[in-house]
Amino acid sequence: MTRFRRQLFVGWFLFLLASVAAIALHIRYHLALPKYAYLTGWAFFGVMLVLTLYNARKKLPFLPLGNSESWLQIHIYGGFFTVVLFLIHLNFRLPTGWFEGTLAWLYLFVTGSGVVGLMLTRVLPRRLSTRGGEVIYERIPALRHTLRCEAETLAFGSDAIANSPALAEFYYRELAMFFAGPRHFWPHLLESRRPLNALLSEMDDLRRYLNESERATLEKLRQLVRQKDGLDYHRALQSALKLWLFVHLPLTYSLMMFTLLHVVIVFAFAGGAR
Amino acid sequence: MPPTIERPQRWDVAFDSEMTDAAVERLLAIAPFSAMDATKFSKRTPLRDILRNDTSIRRYRKGEIIVRQGDYGTSAFLILTGATRVVLKPDLPLSLLGRQAPGKKGIFRTLAQLWSSKRPPESFRRAQLQHGDGLGARRNENEEVHVFLQDLPRVMDQHRTEQMIAGDFFGEIAALSRMPRTSTIFADSDEVELIEIRWQGLRDLMRHDPALQQHINRIYRERAMASFLRATPMFRHLTKEQLAQVAEQVEFATYGDYDWSGEYKRLAKAGTATPEKEPVIVQQGDYPNGVVLVRAGFARVSQKFGTGERTLNYIGAGHVFGFDEIAHNWREPAASVSFQFTLRAIGYTHVIIVPTPVMEKFVLPSLPPKELPPLIAPRDAEPGAPASPSSAEQARDLVGAETLEFLTENRFFNGTASMVIDLDRCTRCDDCVRACASTHDNNPRFLRHGPSMGRLMIANSCMHCADPVCMIGCPTGAIHRESFAGQVVINPVTCIGCKACANNCPYDAIRMVDVRDENGDFMVGEDLKPIAKATKCDLCVENHGGPACQRACPHGALERMNLNNLTALADWMKR
Repeated sequence: MTRFRRQLFVGWFLFLLASVAAIALHIRYHLALPKYAYLTGWAFFGVMLVLTLYNARKKLPFLPLGNSESWLQIHIYGGFFTVVLFLIHLNFRLPTGWFEGTLAWLYLFVTGSGVVGLMLTRVLPRRLSTRGGEVIYERIPALRHTLRCEAETLAFGSDAIANSPALAEFYYRELAMFFAGPRHFWPHLLESRRPLNALLSEMDDLRRYLNESERATLEKLRQLVRQKDGLDYHRALQSALKLWLFVHLPLTYSLMMFTLLHVVIVFAFAGGAR
Repeated sequence: MPPTIERPQRWDVAFDSEMTDAAVERLLAIAPFSAMDATKFSKRTPLRDILRNDTSIRRYRKGEIIVRQGDYGTSAFLILTGATRVVLKPDLPLSLLGRQAPGKKGIFRTLAQLWSSKRPPESFRRAQLQHGDGLGARRNENEEVHVFLQDLPRVMDQHRTEQMIAGDFFGEIAALSRMPRTSTIFADSDEVELIEIRWQGLRDLMRHDPALQQHINRIYRERAMASFLRATPMFRHLTKEQLAQVAEQVEFATYGDYDWSGEYKRLAKAGTATPEKEPVIVQQGDYPNGVVLVRAGFARVSQKFGTGERTLNYIGAGHVFGFDEIAHNWREPAASVSFQFTLRAIGYTHVIIVPTPVMEKFVLPSLPPKELPPLIAPRDAEPGAPASPSSAEQARDLVGAETLEFLTENRFFNGTASMVIDLDRCTRCDDCVRACASTHDNNPRFLRHGPSMGRLMIANSCMHCADPVCMIGCPTGAIHRESFAGQVVINPVTCIGCKACANNCPYDAIRMVDVRDENGDFMVGEDLKPIAKATKCDLCVENHGGPACQRACPHGALERMNLNNLTALADWMKR
């Protein structure tokens, strides 16, 4: 069994074992134990705290706190386990009241964003490496600027503007915006080549109006368009890989704050909890 | 048309451009050069030109360190005037060699990183960069930095030393075999004059002067050969006497260029670094006249394929080449085979050759049958027939031909702790970069980018090379191995920012940074120029738990790996 398969197997096995045990304990004790909601609440909160601590581990890489890979495995399967604890804590009913509802929605958004993030981190890197042309995210604007300058030189260079107004006009009309900034975020994310093909098709159509030397310039422009498209592809996918955390983390902190408030309110009105 | 460059010639760059005709005349008048027969030297490499282009006259003052134990050097020294002293036992303490004492951070220093990491990048307290009491540095008339021992009487008192006088050679074994220097030698009189001979010159002097060759051969056999042979599994069944006889008859040779890093960088930039330019050690199809043991450096095992050559494996120190063929011919003399593969020096390779008669007389009869390799299939005995799967081909099959070519072309096999990234798993989150910065003065010591092939990327980080060319030429010993064959680290206290290591590194893994003080202001010297230090990955040698980059990767996409171990790489790729 390979390492990643073993991780998957062990993770699911422990998750299922813990879930079955938690549900069995719930069935056995949910009516028997006094203040049962406190117990499930603290257990739920404790697991959430462990999951949140993963971010603290990331901030302290110089301390011998175990490797991040193991922490992530705990985070993933612990995250799945909180769904079971969430349902148990709610006693398998829908939340009532705006505060409970907000808390529940926050939890669902945090969990949902986590699951989406997990899927993205498993799918997008492979797509990036298959596409090739690896590039550092922070360098993309500089590389885009270089491509833009090269393209503009081809289209508007001193020779080009005099000899090939058609090319300059085409650049101004179709390519200027394309080279100006990142384009086609969603098509790239959805692996659609439609915008690129449309652009290349228009360039093909332009060929009939060009002479031999202009066609050579157009061919160079095509290469630059492809390079820019590759850059946009990397930007789109790498952005997605980064941006989901900007959803997941603020929601997590909001959830933790609401949870603490929830604890305070529960204890403030302790007479009502069972 | 491919880009062309001017074909490089030997002696395009002399070892010392200041070497004058008068200095050469002076050398020719003294021993051992006066005793050399100039007519025995070839027309392409006359004695006079060797002395002019491959030597340099160095001057040291009393107490100045000439060579340091553990340093890598490419040259040997001959004392012209004055005396030097070699430290025998005990070794000089690390602080006197310009090095850091190895060890992990204590619990308080580890915890202190919680707040100390907030400081400006690469900042030091001024006191941190002060030298200890034992060591000083001064510049000579040629602006070279010479490090000297401040308390010489104390060193002499606490360490057993031996004096060397005019006419004595030292450093020749380290220069010829590219092994670390075994002792520290310092000047023992006020006007010490040495002739430093770079290894190419030494090699040619040996080739044309039997007396020098005999002298160096004897030293090499006495000091280095026996221990090396004893550590080679093939010889473990030999008696002490047999081993001594083998040691007497083996030959040693150096191929390629010690300065391969500079040459490689230049050729790689020009896009003309091809296997065909590498010096041949053994040619496929030649008669197997000896087993080749690689002692230092690396060699490429290749096979004719189409009009070119296909890489099957690369081998490093301790590997054996040609054993299968010689063992086959010994058992099947009627169906003898030639060398099945070509062996080429990559960069630089130091080899020991055990002649076939020695193998047949001593080594092969001593081996139990189960330790002999299988016979080479009969079809391979026919000239030009393709070889059957061999150990070399198995290596290629482990990781695939393309990966093997990629690793070889980029010289990545040199790395004992290369940063390998699986692009199929890497989410480009840069947790590794942040972890490195947090652990190293807010300055990441690597670039999460580098040459890639398929899903494999070798990031631009120090690989802690088996052949650390960065360590050649450091004037203060600041760059050093943490322990023998350990991590290559830089002591910021003794680094003088000369860039020698950064320029030598073929992988551009060493970066110069201008350091700051605790307020974030750049430190400047008396000349008002910024104080620069060389920085690079130290493999978190002081931190508990291993490299922070590897531990910080949430997806198991980053591994520090010895790329000379293809099995480990193959296992990791299939994980």
